[in-house]
Parts: sequence; C-alpha cells; structure tokens
Amino acid sequence: MIPFEFTYCRPDSLQEAAQAYEQLQREGKSTLYYGGGSEIITMCRGGSLQPGAVIDLKAIPECTQFHLDEEHLHIGAACTLNQIKESKVFPLLGLACGRIADHTNQCRITLGGNLCGTILYRETSLPLLLSDAMVTLMGPKGERRLSFKRVFLGSMQLHDGEWIVAVHIPRWALSAKYAHIKHTTNEKIDYPLVSVAALWKGDHLRAAFSGVVSYPLHSEAIDAVLNDHAIPCQTRAEQVIRLLPEAPQQDVEGSRAYRSFLLTNTLTTLLEEWEHGSI
Amino acid sequence: MNTSIGKSIHRKEAWDKVCGRAQYVDDIPLAGALSARLLTSSCAHARIKGIVLTKALSIPGVQAIVTGADCPEHFGPLLQDRPALAREVVRYAGEPVAMVVALDEATAEQAVRLIQVQYEPLPVLLTPSQALAPDAPLIHKQSNGYKKVMEDIYPEVGSNVASRYQIRKGKGQKALEACKTVVEKRFYLPPSDHVAMEVRSARCEIATNGDVMITTTSQAPFSVQTQIASAFLIPSGKVQVKVPFVGGGFGGKAAVSLETLAYLASQRVGGKAVRLTIPREQDMASTPSRLGLEAMIKLGADKEGRLQAAEFTYYLDCGAYSDSAPYMTKAIAVDCTGPYRVEHLSCDAVCVYTNRTYATSFRGFAHESYTFCVERTMDILAKACGKDPLEFRLLNAIRPGDLTPTQVCCTNSLMGDLPGCLTHLKSLGEWEGAKPVQIKADTVRAQGVSCFWKTENPPTDAVSGALITCNEDGSLNLHTGVVEMGSGGQTHLAQILAEKFKIDAQQIHVVMEVDTRVSPEHWKTVASLTEYMAGNAVLQAADDLLGQFRRNGALALDCPEEEIAVSHGRVYSIKNPELFIAWKDIVKGYKTPSGTSLGEPILGRGGFMLKGLCLLDPVTGRGRTGPDWTVGAQIVEIEADLRRYTYRILRATTVMDVGKVINPESMRSMVAGGMAMGISLASREYCSYDAKGIPQAPNLRTYKLMHIGQEPDYRVGFLETPKEDSPYGVRSYAEHGILGIPAALGNALSSAFQQEFCSLPITPEMIWTMAKEREQ
Repeated sequence: MIPFEFTYCRPDSLQEAAQAYEQLQREGKSTLYYGGGSEIITMCRGGSLQPGAVIDLKAIPECTQFHLDEEHLHIGAACTLNQIKESKVFPLLGLACGRIADHTNQCRITLGGNLCGTILYRETSLPLLLSDAMVTLMGPKGERRLSFKRVFLGSMQLHDGEWIVAVHIPRWALSAKYAHIKHTTNEKIDYPLVSVAALWKGDHLRAAFSGVVSYPLHSEAIDAVLNDHAIPCQTRAEQVIRLLPEAPQQDVEGSRAYRSFLLTNTLTTLLEEWEHGSI
Repeated sequence: MNTSIGKSIHRKEAWDKVCGRAQYVDDIPLAGALSARLLTSSCAHARIKGIVLTKALSIPGVQAIVTGADCPEHFGPLLQDRPALAREVVRYAGEPVAMVVALDEATAEQAVRLIQVQYEPLPVLLTPSQALAPDAPLIHKQSNGYKKVMEDIYPEVGSNVASRYQIRKGKGQKALEACKTVVEKRFYLPPSDHVAMEVRSARCEIATNGDVMITTTSQAPFSVQTQIASAFLIPSGKVQVKVPFVGGGFGGKAAVSLETLAYLASQRVGGKAVRLTIPREQDMASTPSRLGLEAMIKLGADKEGRLQAAEFTYYLDCGAYSDSAPYMTKAIAVDCTGPYRVEHLSCDAVCVYTNRTYATSFRGFAHESYTFCVERTMDILAKACGKDPLEFRLLNAIRPGDLTPTQVCCTNSLMGDLPGCLTHLKSLGEWEGAKPVQIKADTVRAQGVSCFWKTENPPTDAVSGALITCNEDGSLNLHTGVVEMGSGGQTHLAQILAEKFKIDAQQIHVVMEVDTRVSPEHWKTVASLTEYMAGNAVLQAADDLLGQFRRNGALALDCPEEEIAVSHGRVYSIKNPELFIAWKDIVKGYKTPSGTSLGEPILGRGGFMLKGLCLLDPVTGRGRTGPDWTVGAQIVEIEADLRRYTYRILRATTVMDVGKVINPESMRSMVAGGMAMGISLASREYCSYDAKGIPQAPNLRTYKLMHIGQEPDYRVGFLETPKEDSPYGVRSYAEHGILGIPAALGNALSSAFQQEFCSLPITPEMIWTMAKEREQ
C-alpha cells in the first residue's frame, strides 16, 4: 500500500510529457518518470520515496517502439524486459533481461526503468555499453541523441527533467559473438554477485561487469588486458581485479573476497573457452 | 472394495482456489471497518525513553493510537512473557511498539510514520552462545516471574534460559568412553522465515453486548479464543473466532499475535470493526519466524559399527519471546537421537532467549533443524567406521523392542518400519553409495541419505470433534474444527467418512470455514494430526450416525435393529437384503405411507481426546509426548561443479511409512512440497542480522526462496504399516517431507566437495570459503 496521494500523468507524446514535467515543477511537485514502477512502488511502500507526481511514459509511441531498420535496432525505453527477451533480436541483451527478476516482474520492468533505477546493478546497461549503442533523450530543453557510454557513467547522467526515449543498437552487435554469465548467492533469480557480459567486435573482446563494484563497469583498460593473448588466461583474469576502480562490493549477498574469486574464475573460464573456440 | 480410501480425488476446495474464488481473511470486504497499522522497533534491544504521538494524532482520520502503556497484559501459549506492544523495553528489531487505528490504511500508515520513539540502546545478544555467556545481560529481568500456562516450562532465574529439558538413559559418559569409534561435531543453524504466501491478517469487532468477534489467518482458532478470553478476562463463550481459508501456515500461524492487537484496537475505538493486515516486511520481521539452533553432538559406535552411546547439547535460539519454543526444545530432546537404537545417552536441550524475532512452530517442529545435525554426524560416523551410510543406518535403525530416548518401547504400530523404508529407498532413489561419481572434468554427481522420525508434542489432553448433518439427497455435511491451509486435511477427512459408509467422497460436503461457535473444537491444525485426531472424531461421529440410521431403519423396515445394516447409501435387513430403504428417506426420521411419523432426525457427533501421554520425568526424561512416530528416509542427488563451487539438485526421493495411503496424489504432492521447502531452506534461506541485530533482508527482494523451474525430480514412495488406533491405520505425514532433506543435501555436498558442512544454508560462497580455509 502506498500511503500518500500523488499526481499521475499519462502523456501521449514526447512534447506533452515534457510540458507535464514543467507544469508539475511549477506546482512544486517532485516528479518521477514512470515505466514499470516495480522499484517506485517498493520504495513508496517502504517509505524511502515520496514523489509528488509520476509521469507514465508507456503511452508515448517513441518510448514503446521496437523495430529494426537498416542500421539499428530501436528499442523504446518503455519496452519490457520480457518483450526484449522474447523478441530474440539482440541475444546478449535478451540474456541480460532474462536474468533480472522473475517472469512476472520481467513483464513489468522496462528497459528505461532498469537503466535509471536506484538499484545499482542496472544489468541491461552492459550490452549497451559494449555495442556502441546510441541513446535518445528527451526533456523540457528538447531532444538529444548521443552515444550511450557518454551518458551512462555507472548511472544515467541526465539533465533535469530528462528521460530516455529509446536506445539504438547498431546491427553488427546483433549478430556478434557473445557470452553472458551471471553468478548469484544461490537462487537463479537474484541480484548479481558477478554478472559478466561479453561481446566480440570482430576478434576483439569487450567485457562489462555488474555486481562487482558499486556500479556497472566497462573499461577499455580491462578490455586491453583481456585481449592480450601473450598472457595466460588466468593471469589476465587476475590482472583485471587489480584494474578495478574500487574494491569489490561486500554485502548480505556476498563478501568482497568471494566476488573477487568469482570474477577471476568467470573470466578465466571465459578466456579459456574463447581460446578453445568453444564460444 | 474401497470406495474412497486410496483414491486420488481432487481437494474439495481445489476449483475455488485455482479460479481465484476462495476467500481469505483480507478478501472479506471492509465495509465500515477501520484499519490499523503497526510501528515497529528499529532497535534490537533498547529501553524506550519516550514516544511522541502529537504529530501522528493530528492527522485527520486517526481514531486512536495504542502503545504498550495501554496494555499491561502478557501473552504466550506456554509462558506469558510477551506484551502485545513493547512496554519500556524492546527486545528485537521489528517488535510492535505502537498501533494506529484510522479510517483507512493509508491514513494509519501516514500517522505511523510520524510517531517519534526515543530509544536508549542496550547490549544485543544474537546467538544462544552469547546469551548463555556468564556475563550476558538479561533479556528478561524476571523470566521466572511470568505466568506459566503449561506446568513443564522451566525458566531459570538470572539467566537467559527460557526452559530446559534433559534425557538420561543408560550409562552415559562411561559408555561413550568404551566405544571404538567416537565422532564429535558442532553445528549452527540460523533462523529463517515461514514465508507463507498469505501475510497475516486479523480483524476484530466487539458487539454492544460485549461479544468479541475475531476473523483471522490462524491455524489455531480455539487457542485464539482461549488466549483472548483469559488475557482480557472475558468469558470464553463471548469470544467468537472465525477462520476462512488460510493461505499457507507452516506452523507460523499457530501463534496468537495479531488477534490480540486487533482486539486492543477495536476496544480502543468503542468496539468498531478494525482490520489489521501487515505488509510482508512486518510478516517477516515482526511476527514469529523459525528457530535458530546450536548443537554439539557426540556419537560412539562399537567395532561392528553399532551405535552404543551418544551425547547431545542443543541450544535453541527462541528469539526475544518463548512462544512455543520451549515445547520445540522438548521435542528435540524427545527425539534427540534420530530413529536409531542408542542404549546409552544424555541430552540437554536448552531454550535460550536472544534479541531476534521470536520463534514459533515451523513445519517439522524443530525436527527439520536437529535432524540436520544428527544425520550429518551419522554420516561422519559411518565414514569413520568404514561403512556405507545407508547400510550404516539400516544396521542401527530402531526396531520393535528398542527403547526411544524417553524409554518408550517400540512396536510396529507405534513406530512403523524404518528398515523397510531404507530398503525401498535404495531402489527408488537409485542409491549408488557415498562416493561421488566423476561425470566430466571438474564435475561430480553425489548422493546423500538421511533418515527421519517425528513424534508429536501436543498437550496431553488435546481434543478434536466432528459433527455430521444430513441432506435430503442423502449427502452428508461434515463439520470439524480443522483449518484448511493447503494440506488437504479436510478432503482426507471426507474420504475417511465416505469409506466408512461405502459411499463416494463427492457425497460428503465439507464445511471449510471454522467458526468456534459452530465447529467442534479441534486443538490446533498443527503437528500433522488432522487425520489421526479429527479422523478418529469423524469415525466416532459416523458410528453415532450409523446407530441412528439403524434405529430409523428398523422402524421404517419394521424389523429388529440388530438385523439392520447400513452401506452404499442404503439401510437394509441383513436377513433379507431385498428389504431396504434409501437412507435419504430416513434422515429426518420416517413417515409411513399412512402418515405416521417414526424415529428422529439424524445428527452425528463424535469426539476424540488424546490418551496415554504424560509429562517427561525432569531427571531422566522418561515419558511419552505423542501418540506415535512416523519414520522415513530420503536421498538427495546433486551435480557439483568443483571449480566454481556451485551445485545443482537433480533428484530428491522420500520413502515414508504413512500407515495408510488415504489419497495417493495429494499425499505425494504434500511430501514433494516438503522436499521443496527443505531444499530451499538448506540452500538459500536464512534471516541475516547485522551486528546491531537489525534484520538485513526482511523482504522478498533479498530473502530468496527456491523459485519454480529450479525444482529437481521428486520421487515419493510409501510404506503402509498401520497404526492400530488410527483411521484405516494412517499416520501423521503432512510435515515430514521436509525433515531429512537439509541433512541429505548436506551429506551429498559434503561427499562431493570433501568438506564437512555444519551450517545452513549451504551456499557456493560457504563451500568456497571452506575450501579456501582448508588450502591455507
């Protein structure tokens, strides 16, 4: 139960949504954009969040688009994880979506919500960071389209009142070689202790991580080590730990030392399988 | 030929449930009722310095705010040590501190968030070991000053011990010294939660004449009636308790908790109806959960591998209040050895207060916990003796003529057939021995075995009753006090009754809702005793009904009563079976063609009271607490990844001696459900607390149960050694699927990873940590 009143807006266009935001700001209401609402509802129930208004983006066509053209796959931010998974168009993103929450919640949680939420794992960001994806943002100051990794620095760096309209994934990434490995405490559907997404552009491996440090991480320095075939797999994996920008996380799900072990072990296996040609 | 027993009929309420039509407490419309919400403690142990209600009271729609100062009564089924709302001291994080009653739930919650409580932290004790340390602060200053509800509760002055039980049999220590092989192991099991699908809810209304009407999600409506009546000095007849369907209890809803609060809330607003439904977070942190356990076990065997002597120390972590934990402690003592012949033993079972959410009964009544400790130690001993773990158990299995720890002499009827279960298990579970099998590089398959047994610990005078009324079409209505919470008990009772009259179970209409003003008392729907206790009451009522059918039949057929038989819906003359009358024609008595009325309307009543039970001798523990035992054996098979320290559960098998299979499919699924719960418990579930005693995961985002889709293959086999005084010989079976599963899983993992696991849940991180410690 959410024990307070708030305004609910459901605009039909990008412009209406931006206007609604400005209007609600003038009324002095703290405003959130709303996709599936799973996190907002939890936090409102628990008392850690009390928005004055929410703007539901699910009636805006640009936010629910899902189509492939000659250059890109366009996924609206209000598409659900389940929609993306079942489309099977971008397998790596589908796998990431398929391991976030249970099926019921996958049918509700949206791509935009997962990217913008406060829960730090944001696992859908990993395939986007690896695939040279673009992102369209909209806000009271208008629309802008830019590289996803420029605006996702662990979390979305949005201007005031801005939201994600859609992401655009170049076609090469849809058919590229990939791997997705997620380790949890013991239940299949759980927050990641270590989640690794890997995508090969040609012969070059790119890998991104969630659960390891306090934000989703992709680093070119780490990629460089992973691609250094002169070094044995296990050593490369161990070097990655040293390149982490902060110590691995430590919480009720798992300890710092165990996360380090999992990351090393997972990367070693990944690299070995790559070398043996079994990916 | 059986008409009903042994048939896999659907549960009576199945269609209502799968179509979403079944009504639970919170589904009942709220019209006119107020809502209550709880403020719970944010400290695990603290003195309450002050509570400021001003802001909360200023919210429009708030009707009343109740705090501990308003209710001096203490509650508890065994020892009255728990206030409804904390008074002066909070003893666990999540303890109810204040309750707001308002026009609607949202207003009540808004007000709750505005109550300011000032705490002065006190030292926090989180394990029995900490609480038993010589200088440990006392969680209850005067636990011996609390009123005892049952006589065999022994709180100890100046300590955190809520009760203690001991067993002494044979020579004790000396016998252990004479053993060729002795193994010793310590165990620690953290508490966990029941996580029933339905959260707890209670509503209360007090009529102008003082009648108290409570509707609640309880497994024990008659205990609610008794406890409310006795605490608030109301004649019990003025307290009416109703229970519709309960959405899963697992023992957690046998404790009386929200009902008291709902009563206090209603009382404060002039008797108006008040509903108190708690959110999941409070259901996990505030209302009682499963116990924690520390154990030290020593087992000794002779050179043939025969168990000779044993020593047990069990410290049960009951949390901040005792609730039913003293009896769970007693239950551990009574069955402390597991189902094995052990001539010389000593056992000390101690119930210890800590600053955690208090514990109440959980599926297995503590057997799911101590069995892990005993059965893990049995595997270690088998290995030390060089024996196959299954054969080792077979060698030591308890048999007729052996004495239980409390010196009850076993018979087939009392105990069932454990050797038979093990033999059947060997083939059904495809036992391959304790040695793991390599299936590819870094991957092995391994099996673990466990036995279990369980007797019950009800009050020695627990009762059950049944009423049968008749319809004009010849069908029967069955009223009992059994709560339907998913175990299919009501359907089994219908089958027991139908079999008696050789009619189809469709002809039995079961009244599902329990209403203490209508339903005959059934002690509590716990301890898997429905089929035994209520089943016996049903058979009594059926006999009563039979006598009345024969009387009316004799009058209608104009022949002596001794010549009348009743079967298949007919009343007939034994001498001349062609002379019969359909019983539907005599259920209201009989009217002759000329209009003369004969006989009386038919109404069956039956009652049953447990017999032959007694309290335990305080020194030796000699005595008998339950009507019988149920025994069984289980195998869990896993695939382990030795490089990643992860595992997958492939198969879980149970063979249990259930006395009589009443309904094969429903009993199979109950046992499989128990196995699922055991796997989840042993692999994932625990309540984690930080150093200050704050629960870290009282929500289903973080507290993980095994999800659908990860279930292994379940196999269930039954043996049928009848229990003499039970309907058709059936034994308790409903809880038991869980009992040996954590141990069997632990044994399989210990074998796969070559580590001795002594704690739960066994997660990949735990396996990795132990492997790393060994390397160093």
